[in-house]
Amino acid sequence: MPVWHAALEPFEKAGKVAVVAVVQDQHPDRARLFLQWKRVGWPVLADSLDLLNLDTVPLTVAVDEYGIVRFTELPMSATKTIGETFIDQTYPKPASLPPIDRGRFETFTTWTMAIEAFERDVQRNPNDGPAQFRLGSAYRARYDSRERRTTDFADAERHWTRALDIDPNRYIWRRRVQQYGPRMAEPYAFFDWIRDARQELAARGETPVPLAVEPGDSEFEKPDPRALAKAPAAEPDPRGRIRRDAGEFIGIDATAVPAVPNAGDTVRVHVTFRPNAATKAHWNNTADPLVYWMTPPSGVTVASRAVVAPNAAAEVSLETRTIDYDVTLPASAAGRVTIPGYALYYVCEDVNGVCMYRRHDVTVTIPVKH
Amino acid sequence: MKLAAALALLAALAAQPAKPKPIWARNNPLPTGFNPGEAFPTIALPSAVDGRPTSVAEFRGKKLIVNIFASW
Repeated sequence: MPVWHAALEPFEKAGKVAVVAVVQDQHPDRARLFLQWKRVGWPVLADSLDLLNLDTVPLTVAVDEYGIVRFTELPMSATKTIGETFIDQTYPKPASLPPIDRGRFETFTTWTMAIEAFERDVQRNPNDGPAQFRLGSAYRARYDSRERRTTDFADAERHWTRALDIDPNRYIWRRRVQQYGPRMAEPYAFFDWIRDARQELAARGETPVPLAVEPGDSEFEKPDPRALAKAPAAEPDPRGRIRRDAGEFIGIDATAVPAVPNAGDTVRVHVTFRPNAATKAHWNNTADPLVYWMTPPSGVTVASRAVVAPNAAAEVSLETRTIDYDVTLPASAAGRVTIPGYALYYVCEDVNGVCMYRRHDVTVTIPVKH
Repeated sequence: MKLAAALALLAALAAQPAKPKPIWARNNPLPTGFNPGEAFPTIALPSAVDGRPTSVAEFRGKKLIVNIFASW
């Protein structure tokens, strides 16, 4: 527990102060998992769209009983407690208090409505960085929802990149772009803590907060060792003999980040696999995990031609699976770079009650900037 | 004479419009977006637990620490 949590605890118990967390994650349930792990029960508000329009995190703001900001960092030191400096202070009541700003966000009942409104903002002023960021975040949120469209992730990346181009000083925006982009020269451990948190929570006998979207490989500093260990060295279906799934059981889409790179750039490719609800398809986890095999053209570099998505712990499951990998384009790349590949997986369906092994052909196309 | 020239130079400098600060020089050294003495933004944000729109203003009546962070 950080020092300031411990310093606040007696005041919280006495009802003299409350703490509220505002999380800037695109996926706020990850912050809930973090707080569960740290045994913190504060209310958590999600600001995935950066409606507070902040440059950076973390920030700790002391607000008086009237909603007025008193300190923009914790007012405590070796000689002064937070009780002396803030909690036991008396502040004047302002003549008027601003009402709660319900904003437009509350009127949106779907992500599509939010996207349409934010698109209008961006059309009015294409140089409005916060509007571009909001729009990108709304696209990504729709991509992770039932309203999803296959182009949403690419649209999110495009608007985030535009926002950062308008104002390169926004740390939160920069990290959002990097989160889904190629592994950095100095890889950043965005969500490596999740593995530790789940292990510790399980050891404590607690059920970890479930995540709507599992972090992709690029969101970890180090690749998942389980996936690396199970990647085949040789092509698993070189003669194309495995029966095809054209989406009846598993729907697939692929997104490159950045969407339109320069020749010579490295691109992160995300391939997403979703069981088809219409055929009541689900993963069969009692068999080998999903393997994705690619055949890059001459000059295109990948770390491994095989990528594995580990199985869930349960015998069957319905989760969305994602694999992601870096592709480095040759300096001579032009036009469109096409990378053929396929996924092999074990899937069951509950219409006829059968399980099968299927191959799904996937072609990733990356347009190169002129 | 020298004094007159110096005064004229100062007057000329003063008459020039101030150059706008480059974007990287604004809000330094540590931008927070919040200013002591001003109201904390009252915009309603969705609860990360159930999505219910909630404003920090709903916590009025007691001192509040707002901890803004990202889990990455």
